[in-house]
Amino acid sequence: MAAIAWVTCPHCKGEFYCKIDDFEDSNHPLFCPYCNKNFLYKESVRIKK
Amino acid sequence: MGKDLRDFLEKLKELEPVIEIDREVRPASFEVTGILRKLEERALFPLVVFKNPLNLKNEPSPFYVISNVFATRERCALALDLPSDKANFDLSLRYAQRTKNFLKPIIVKKEDAPVKEVVVKGEDLDLRNYPIVRHHEMDPAPYIDMVVCFRDRSGSFYNTSFQRNMYKGPKKLGLFMATRHNWEICRTYEIHGEAAPVIIIIGHHPAFYLGSLNIQPYGVDDYGIIGGVMDEPLSLVASETWGEDFLVPAEAEVVIEGEVVPRIREAEAPFGEWPGYYGPQRLSHVIEVKAVTHRKEAFWQDVFVSHRENWVLGGIPKEGEIFEAVKAYVPTVKSVHFPFSGNCRLFCYISLDKQEDGDARQAALIALSTCDFIKYVIVVDGDVNPFNEGEVLWAVATRCQPQEDIDVIKWVKSSPLDPSLPGHSEGSKMIIDATMPKRRAFAKRTMVPEEVLKKIRLEDYIDEKLLPRLPKYFDSLRSL
Repeated sequence: MAAIAWVTCPHCKGEFYCKIDDFEDSNHPLFCPYCNKNFLYKESVRIKK
Repeated sequence: MGKDLRDFLEKLKELEPVIEIDREVRPASFEVTGILRKLEERALFPLVVFKNPLNLKNEPSPFYVISNVFATRERCALALDLPSDKANFDLSLRYAQRTKNFLKPIIVKKEDAPVKEVVVKGEDLDLRNYPIVRHHEMDPAPYIDMVVCFRDRSGSFYNTSFQRNMYKGPKKLGLFMATRHNWEICRTYEIHGEAAPVIIIIGHHPAFYLGSLNIQPYGVDDYGIIGGVMDEPLSLVASETWGEDFLVPAEAEVVIEGEVVPRIREAEAPFGEWPGYYGPQRLSHVIEVKAVTHRKEAFWQDVFVSHRENWVLGGIPKEGEIFEAVKAYVPTVKSVHFPFSGNCRLFCYISLDKQEDGDARQAALIALSTCDFIKYVIVVDGDVNPFNEGEVLWAVATRCQPQEDIDVIKWVKSSPLDPSLPGHSEGSKMIIDATMPKRRAFAKRTMVPEEVLKKIRLEDYIDEKLLPRLPKYFDSLRSL
């Protein structure tokens, strides 16, 4: 599996993980699986690599 | 009329109970997978039909959700016209034989195609009208997890593969593809800045789906291979969106037509996948849906991904095709098995009657080069049954010296869904030679003389009524 990071949604605080390469240095937003809101990787409340 | 899911269900009902659930269920709220999981906890894997599912708008849906079709090898054997007592390696061999029997598809008129009973496109098209299943807690949306089919840009072949499609909007799906055949076809469109036509086939005879999992070389027309596995030419009909330039299976329950939008990627997943873990959220392709065609009261088929059905389905095609590949160079190979413990993908057990010591590694290397899912190959002698994992591990414990008999091959392409991979899709492979060496004398396996066993009837020595009451212990060496 690709290198992953656990991220935390700034809207609902839900935690999930993403492929670091796809989101870390990009403007593509993440999609929270719990509240269905978008946020950028850098906006994650916590990032655990 | 060609083979379809409905024929299969009628045949199955003569052999085993099919569970039909009348109570309303909400597939998008985990209720389908919740029921399947509760059955699994009791070691029950029936085929289940949910007769009253709600759609994504929480309205009654005129579809039946059907799942667990592939959860037992016995049902897969029936799909390939074999009895249940031939569901182990006989089934794998039947599969391999049929993939060699390429059958050119036949084209039928629209009025003869059941999948065209209802055609939905334009303003009426809304994916929320369908009972799409959400499988696991961290999945961000309902997913379609059936077969996706592309036609290559030159129009010379179709390629099918199980791939996941995330619901993203009334006319929009996400699509994740590993870097294999469908991905390559899509890439050729994308480098020309063109949208790639694609269809999703939801509900068909199980032999259709088993055939779609063939591991033939890139460029072989999967519709012809599928016909071979079904043992009859696949019936095709012109699509709504591209006409005869893209033919779709006429006997399917539901076909979704769409286009992969070039140079667009969006967040998709996490999604619970076959290894038993969620694949991470990633940037994946996007499908713009153009049309949906289906039968009246169609079966909306779903695979309980990450569970037994998903594993059985993945293993059978590989067993037969790897056996054939190995047999070309090691003709004394006896059997190949992908056990549940490796999700029917990561472990490959091969048995052979070794003629020389090099046979074992040769067989293992062929298996690894035939299928990139495999992470561990264990080769055993012909007296060990690869379908009995306890016997295989006993052979590893007693016939293998790690310093001599284990090899690791580093930095090899692997499944990107394996959570242990350190990089994107490069991993390592292990070959375990658990065969007895030919180069030196080796101990003999204990055996009570066969001629004595043939003569003894336990009932002649022990009270017949007592025998069934004795506690049973299926230890690891016993064939179940």
